[in-house]
Amino acid sequence: MVQSSQAVPAVAKRKRSYFARKPLQSFLALAIGVMLVLFIVIPILFVLVRSFGGADGFTLDYYRNFFARPYYYRALINSLTLATTVTSILVVFCFMYAYIVARLPRGIIATAMRSIAMLPLLAPPFIFSISLITLGGRRGLISQVLANLFGIEFSIYGWTGVILAQCIGLFPLGFMMLENVLRSMDLNLEEASADMGAGQWRTLWSVTIPLMMPGIMKAALLVFIKSIADFATPMVIGRGLPFLATDAYLLVVGQHNMEMAAVLATFLIMPTMLIFFVQNYVLKDKARTTIGGQAGGTARIKMNPLMKGLFILCSFISALFIVSAFGVVFWSAFVVIPGVNNTFTLAHFSTRTGVQALVTSLKIATSAAFFIAFVAMIQAYLNLRLKVPGSKIKEYLALFGMGVPGTVIGIGFILTFNQQPFKLTGTMFIIVMAIMCQYLGVSLEAGISKLHQIGPSMEEASWDMGASKAMTFFRVVLPLMGSSFLYGLIFTFMSAMTTISAVIFLVYPGTTLAAVYILQVAEQGAIARAAAMSVVLITIVALSLFILNRFTARTHLSRL
Amino acid sequence: MHAEPILKVENVVKKFGEVTALDGVSINVNRGEIVCFLGPSGCGKTTLLRVIGGFYEQEAGDVTLDGALINGIPPEKRDTVMFFQNYALFPHMTVYENVTYGLRVRRVPREAMKKQAGEILALIQLDGMEDRFPNQLSGGQQQRVALARALILNPKLLLLDEPLSNLDAKLRSYMREEIIKIRENLNLTIIFVTHDQEEAMSIADKIAVMRCGLIEQIGRPVDIYRYPESTYVANFVGSANFLKATVTGSDQSGSVEIDTHMGSLKMTAPRKEYSTGAKVVAVIRPESIGVSFEDSSNSSKSLKGEILRGSYLGSQMIYTIRVREETITVNLSDPGEEQIKKAGDTVYLTLPEYIHLIDAAKAGEFFD
Repeated sequence: MVQSSQAVPAVAKRKRSYFARKPLQSFLALAIGVMLVLFIVIPILFVLVRSFGGADGFTLDYYRNFFARPYYYRALINSLTLATTVTSILVVFCFMYAYIVARLPRGIIATAMRSIAMLPLLAPPFIFSISLITLGGRRGLISQVLANLFGIEFSIYGWTGVILAQCIGLFPLGFMMLENVLRSMDLNLEEASADMGAGQWRTLWSVTIPLMMPGIMKAALLVFIKSIADFATPMVIGRGLPFLATDAYLLVVGQHNMEMAAVLATFLIMPTMLIFFVQNYVLKDKARTTIGGQAGGTARIKMNPLMKGLFILCSFISALFIVSAFGVVFWSAFVVIPGVNNTFTLAHFSTRTGVQALVTSLKIATSAAFFIAFVAMIQAYLNLRLKVPGSKIKEYLALFGMGVPGTVIGIGFILTFNQQPFKLTGTMFIIVMAIMCQYLGVSLEAGISKLHQIGPSMEEASWDMGASKAMTFFRVVLPLMGSSFLYGLIFTFMSAMTTISAVIFLVYPGTTLAAVYILQVAEQGAIARAAAMSVVLITIVALSLFILNRFTARTHLSRL
Repeated sequence: MHAEPILKVENVVKKFGEVTALDGVSINVNRGEIVCFLGPSGCGKTTLLRVIGGFYEQEAGDVTLDGALINGIPPEKRDTVMFFQNYALFPHMTVYENVTYGLRVRRVPREAMKKQAGEILALIQLDGMEDRFPNQLSGGQQQRVALARALILNPKLLLLDEPLSNLDAKLRSYMREEIIKIRENLNLTIIFVTHDQEEAMSIADKIAVMRCGLIEQIGRPVDIYRYPESTYVANFVGSANFLKATVTGSDQSGSVEIDTHMGSLKMTAPRKEYSTGAKVVAVIRPESIGVSFEDSSNSSKSLKGEILRGSYLGSQMIYTIRVREETITVNLSDPGEEQIKKAGDTVYLTLPEYIHLIDAAKAGEFFD
């Protein structure tokens, strides 16, 4: 009786609307749907429409203008060149780094190497340009050494600096993806290849890399999108080179030329659209799973010395760059003028505006983290278990939002919410929504994959014993999803603390955010103050990460 | 008596951190033999196979293949090929590409490669499937591709890791035939690992029963089954009744008398000499005991017992029977209706002529 009560009424009551049958989940689904449309679809549409003239009628003038002015289309070419270069470098280096970490026996070295690779996540990505300026700027340490000893005039500003800074900032992204793929590889395949006489280079080339290709592509695409979307690094260290994201920002903030900004934003969003299409339609069919039996093999084949040497060398260079970039930030924060007057000082830390910005950041990051993690879990549940109509579209929307460059979201938000009926600019709410737009996808994915793992039998048991859907969600599902909820919480918090690209458009006078403040200070050339503020930000993010880790380790949540 | 063994393993030790997986294992494998490593999980059988294949490097001891010491030589330079439990087929290559992988590595000319692949695919009856990808094949076909991929290299030694464990019963017996056929056709030396005694018995020329990183006993299937050297081996290769006993006498003709909880037993031709007073365990397989429900009292060896339980399995009837102070299990094959009795009924048992004895030292759990 209990089992059949689910199926029979569903047929009998088919004529009643879905909403009438399941009011609670319909309401939730609708609310999330409206939110996603309002804050992801509409802003992006507004950008597209504006680039064609907006309310003044359809025109291609702005695009004509874009291609007529070398400065603008140079921006497009530069952005593509930059993203391609950074992606190529990172895929190669992250692969070697991930290979070493994944194949190293578990232990202190592997843990240390992984932590180093993840370090850049703790800070807004552009702060590495601050370290690079300290080292290689006009009066930078390395520049002075080169000038004094060899008479070479060296400057990090321009292409070198932008590429290097992005490589450091985006390293964790590429590394995480590739390490994950490497760890899920069936080692037996590599062993089989070796067993049939293939040397390690051959095995790498004809077995490991082809099998990882979908993962490598995904990592490359993510890095590419993030590189194109990054407007802050070129602003600090690009020395006036035109880039799409940077110029879109400057057009909005400096000239209020919304139409041209919309054109640039449209070009910014194109790679995302393309990539989204490729991922969901082209790569999907090529996803290969291991066949036959369980994934096996835990043996560690000795790497051949040449390969091992090369991989370790490259990993070491990567780690060195990351660690020194961090070290220099800390160093510049605590001395009067790095390299010139190395006296310890705390003077750079005394800034009232900075502290206010930090408090605002904390408030926003905390509320965004809880809000987004909750919405993601509910959406994952509606999507996977209750099969509420339209869920798949919402999942796509959230994932799409994740890929849209923050600059585009920022411009879209200004275009959409700066006027009636949605006059929302100048509120904390709109900043939280911008963060939701960019990061909901990550938590949602975590929730969905966790639900896939758990399997529906426990919920069925709960229903079977008479609990309602809502009760089941709160008493059974949410505790089981604890780990992915926490993951979403931590990830969103960290991202919200360090994000800059969308929120910079939305901060209002007197309520700036920490990351925005750091960028503004750095742009004015107050490198030491920017470094000091970065140190505080890094410390807070690292500390919250540590506390949450501790918390999860102590409670039962870690076992889930 | 034979030529030099193709594989010699001497005193091999392999440790994983604190855990000793192989504790000084030695074994010889002759050319053309099928040898099986049999044991429960964690006994070191797969570790030994992987040491032979070069996937693990031993801490001590020597491995010699065809007269050459191969310690520390990586798998790609060893003339052994491993057949992985999960097949380890390359999912991104077709059947043809999978099978010819080893040849391509060795830069075999295209034409020769085609010819060899054709032959081997015909042998395992997969011709016509060259362009399929592994995930388009059935489990049995995948397994045969994996076998072809290994066989095409004509290795000195074929290593099979649990080759039949992923298959259903039908495919299992088919594959068993296949392995035996391949051995006959190609005169290969094969080592395989399994935890399934039936699998080991049906394929292997020699079985090495392993326990805790050591080989407990090695011999022909019949040796292992009929003449186990320890209760561990006897237990692993089938069920057995173990009777704790003391030798009470022996005579010149070779018969031995032992005292058990079932009373005094006399049997012929022991494999060893036993002195009076020796503690032993008698091994009696349940299917070797004769059962009758009438007292044919002319036999002095007939023992009277009482049925405690009976389970009808179709092909056999398993009785648990109490004989004096001992409880033993008896299998009656192809039981007719009149042979299905209930608890409390009386039966008369005839023990086999030969009863195998195991020294108390090799039957630890019975004498501790």
